[in-house]
Amino acid sequence: MEPVNSLMRKLKMSCSETSPLISERMDHRLPLSKKIRVTIHLAMCEVCRYYEKQLKILRGLAQNLGGEESAYLGEARLSAQAREKIQKNLDSAK
Amino acid sequence: MAQEEIDSNQWVERYGDQMYRYTLVRVRDASAAEDIVQSALIAGLQAQESFAGRSSEKSWLFGILKHKIMDHFREIKKTGAFDPLPEDAPDPGDYDATGHWRNHPRDWNIDPEKAAENQQLSAALAHCLDGLSDRFRRIFVLKEIEGLSSDEICNEFNIQPTNLWVMLHRARNQLRQCLEGQWLKK
Repeated sequence: MEPVNSLMRKLKMSCSETSPLISERMDHRLPLSKKIRVTIHLAMCEVCRYYEKQLKILRGLAQNLGGEESAYLGEARLSAQAREKIQKNLDSAK
Repeated sequence: MAQEEIDSNQWVERYGDQMYRYTLVRVRDASAAEDIVQSALIAGLQAQESFAGRSSEKSWLFGILKHKIMDHFREIKKTGAFDPLPEDAPDPGDYDATGHWRNHPRDWNIDPEKAAENQQLSAALAHCLDGLSDRFRRIFVLKEIEGLSSDEICNEFNIQPTNLWVMLHRARNQLRQCLEGQWLKK
C-alpha cells in the first residue's frame, strides 16, 4: 500500500485532506476539482466511506432530537419555580 | 366544523415542558431556555388575533417559539458568540503523520435513512452534544437541527465560509468519536 499512500499524499488525497471535503459535501455542492478528489478517495478508502455514513446518521439523529416531540434529555422539565414564574408573567400580560 | 379554540390558561400545563425541551436542545442554557419559552408564550398571547385556526394551537405556538430561538441567537451574536477564535482552527490531532485516521471510523451498522427512528442513539447524541464547546454546539445546531443552509448561517452570523466548514467538520468529528467511544460497542 505504501506506493498508493504516497501517491495519495502527493495528490492531496489523504484521509486528513479528504475528510473535511466529505463533511463539506454534506452542506453544499463541491466545485468539480474537489468533487473528483472525494469520489476517487471514497472509491479506495473504506474507512472514509464509514465516515460519510456516520455523518449521515448524525444528521438523522439530530433531526430526531430537534423535533417537537423531542425526547432531548428525556426527563428535562420546567422546574416548579420556572413554571410558576412563567404562569405569573403570562397572567399579568393578559 | 368549529375552529380550534385558543386556551391560553392551559398553555404552560400543556406545552411548557415540550417547548422547554425543544428550546434546551438548541440553546443548552436552562435559564435562557426558560426565558425563551416565556417570551414565546407572551408573544402568543399578544398575537392571539392572528391565530386563524389553520394549524393546531400547538404548532402555532411552536412556530412562534422557533422565531424566538432565532432571536436569541441573533442577540448573543452581538456579544461575540460567533466570532472566530484561534481554537477553531483545523485540528491535526485526528490524523497521524501520514494523513490516516488515528481513530478509524467504523461501520455502525445503521441505515442512515432510519437513523431518525433510533431513540437510544438520539439520546446518546444529546449527551455528546453537551460535550461540545458552546460555539461548535451552536454551529451544529443551526446546521443540523435548525436545518439552515451554509449561506444562511454565514450571512446571519457573519461567519467566513471556510471557518464554518472547519467548525462543522470538527464538531462532527467530535460527535462521531463520542458516539463511537461511549455508546457503540466495539
